Amino acid sequence: MRAFNAELSKLLSLPGIWLAFLIGAFAPAVIAALDSIAQKDEIIAGVSTRLSEVGYIGLGFGVQGVIILGVLAVSSEYLTESSESSGGQQITTSLTVVSSRLHFLLAKAGAVTVISILLCIVAIMTTVSTTHLILGEYAPAFEWSRLTGAICYWSFTALLAFGFTFLTKNGILPLAVLMINSSIVSFSVLLAKVTKLAFYLPDRAGIEMFMFTSDRSHTPITGSIFDRFYTPLTGGLVMFAWVVVLLMVAAIVFHRRDVAS
Amino acid sequence: MSVSSSRKITQILGAELGKLVTLPLIWLALMWTFILNLVLAAAFTSVGLQGAAGTQSVLNIGLASMGYLQAGFIILGILATCSEYTGGQIRTTLTTIPWRGFQLSTKHLALAIITIPAAFIIATSGVLYTFFMMRDTAVVNEIDTMIQTLVGATGYLTLTTLLSAAIGALLRRTTPALVVLLGYYFIVSPLTRVFLPSIKNYLNYFPDTAGYYMYMPPSSDEINVLTPMQGTGFSMLWTLIFITVAIVFYRKRDA
Amino acid sequence: MLTINNLVKHRGTQEILSGISFKARPGRVTGFLGPNGAGKSSTLRILLGLDRATSGSALINGKPFAELHNPLLTVGTALDGSGAHRMRTGRAHLRWMARAVGLPRSRVEEVLELVGLTNAAGKRVGSYSLGMGKRLGMAAALLGDPEILVLDEPVNGLDPEGIRWIRTFLRERAASGNTVLLSSHLMGELAETVDDVVIINHGKVVADGTLEEVTGNHFTLEEAFFALTSEHAGDTV
Repeated sequence: MRAFNAELSKLLSLPGIWLAFLIGAFAPAVIAALDSIAQKDEIIAGVSTRLSEVGYIGLGFGVQGVIILGVLAVSSEYLTESSESSGGQQITTSLTVVSSRLHFLLAKAGAVTVISILLCIVAIMTTVSTTHLILGEYAPAFEWSRLTGAICYWSFTALLAFGFTFLTKNGILPLAVLMINSSIVSFSVLLAKVTKLAFYLPDRAGIEMFMFTSDRSHTPITGSIFDRFYTPLTGGLVMFAWVVVLLMVAAIVFHRRDVAS
Repeated sequence: MSVSSSRKITQILGAELGKLVTLPLIWLALMWTFILNLVLAAAFTSVGLQGAAGTQSVLNIGLASMGYLQAGFIILGILATCSEYTGGQIRTTLTTIPWRGFQLSTKHLALAIITIPAAFIIATSGVLYTFFMMRDTAVVNEIDTMIQTLVGATGYLTLTTLLSAAIGALLRRTTPALVVLLGYYFIVSPLTRVFLPSIKNYLNYFPDTAGYYMYMPPSSDEINVLTPMQGTGFSMLWTLIFITVAIVFYRKRDA
Repeated sequence: MLTINNLVKHRGTQEILSGISFKARPGRVTGFLGPNGAGKSSTLRILLGLDRATSGSALINGKPFAELHNPLLTVGTALDGSGAHRMRTGRAHLRWMARAVGLPRSRVEEVLELVGLTNAAGKRVGSYSLGMGKRLGMAAALLGDPEILVLDEPVNGLDPEGIRWIRTFLRERAASGNTVLLSSHLMGELAETVDDVVIINHGKVVADGTLEEVTGNHFTLEEAFFALTSEHAGDTV
């Protein structure tokens, strides 16, 4: 528990964390607002095919905040950039403070999870209120089950970023891959056109926890590959399996390698 | 500023080139970009092969991966400038070459010298792969068009790299620079295009969309809003503006 | 000759330096002392053109750093740490510097030999120990065989052998007419190396003179230092 508190305060004092919070709290709302504005006429006329996704689309595309969070949590241990030198790696200090590497990893993962859950709750609040502000009485009701799905999606994404960065020790690759993959030109979407196996990719599976719940979601941007493939629960389980496997691999690699290398 | 002799310019350019080529991260970034681009080209080709024969051109499919490919070059640009801020290297740089505006422009020049051949090779490799896989099924473009388009693509990637380097120099930290650039190129820009089609005409003048016209295969049915030359002009303008802003800040602030 | 004239530096609302003036003369080793956060590094950074002074000037042979025709051949600097990217090798780091000023590659090998890094030159800077990083910093400072040396904590992290080497080396440099300015916390070490001493505290010069003048009635430089910089200066002898 003490290690967890320490990780929490370490995370909150990171210089880049404001960026994660800012994006996490407001990006979903901005995307949801744009989407609502674009669809307002159709929704009011009652012909929108995507009414069930209004707002959620923001939570789907707005996960960059927690990706940054997960990546920073690890990369900050390995590299500090500043005009002053002191090229010290914090990881050395961290591991002398918390001697068990497994405890260290779990405490850090716990801190990342807690912050991303909180961040997602803030994001839900901003998104829901923006949607209501723009659509007024036409705004769809937000269901608790789907919002819980979104929270799970966010914290799993953060943990994937976290585990991935533990393997690379450098934030650039995970940040680039995960950010691009959370966009509308995601690799998973491309791969889904090539092979059905791509539906088992974590982001593609996980997003079904709260998106594509209606069976007729053919829209210009999405298209048929966005059809429902899982139930929300199985989608969540597939993503969770990825998280568990990745964290286990990260734990094994982290346990075996020298700190300084 | 006592830099007048061309000898000094070549010396400093040599030093900046030396810095870039001895940085393993630069090579890693280029290597990964090359490999991932081929994987993506393979994916797009395989999607293309499922389509009806004769409906798509080799260039369209071979350059479909450009959207992803630019990420590698954004990273390259950021690495080139942000690497100065690791291990206090910026102090060594500025005590060796204290003429800041000159130093940063030379760095961009050195970066362009490395990027141009790399971008050309990587873009060409994707198109060649598609060509060999699909020459029986897809429309093969004329060699002139091919070369023109590849030169355009190389130009676009180089300008993107230089623009990223300027943003990197402004922000000085890899993570925020990466988030800002990837956020713009992959999230903000595509989403705005989808959600706000009404402002599409203005979006044409932004660096990524303007740059798109530099390599967009002319065979497409869409009416080209900008000619390749106009696209090049606007992209170049953006890059120059950002480099200038970066230099102004670089000269003013404490290292 | 280094001339610091009434240097003032504000950072935000904080005043880091409030009117620092002193000189470092050729043929002498000048020690620059002060507690942590007194403004030593800020002064050196302004002198080297890294930071901008709010007012006042810091001149090298009468010119600001950026106006020197060939800075690396005039002033050799080693600030905190190695000043090199972690993923580059020590040799590659010195090579780009040499290339920037048109020095031959053989000069790189010479300075590597001089600081005893020849065997580690092919390794990445990130794998260096603190002392090796310091040696690389020294090698960079000596690359252009400059007439002026500005060193921040040069002995910090060095082994006893390295410390002795630095001491004799700096004495030799000064003896042959060069200017050496070094900052340090290590009083005992400094007392054996320097000719002149400048002590600053809270951004102000509190003592400036030869080693004998500054030590004054105190037994050692260390006692003089504490007397000058402690908050209750009157309480001590």
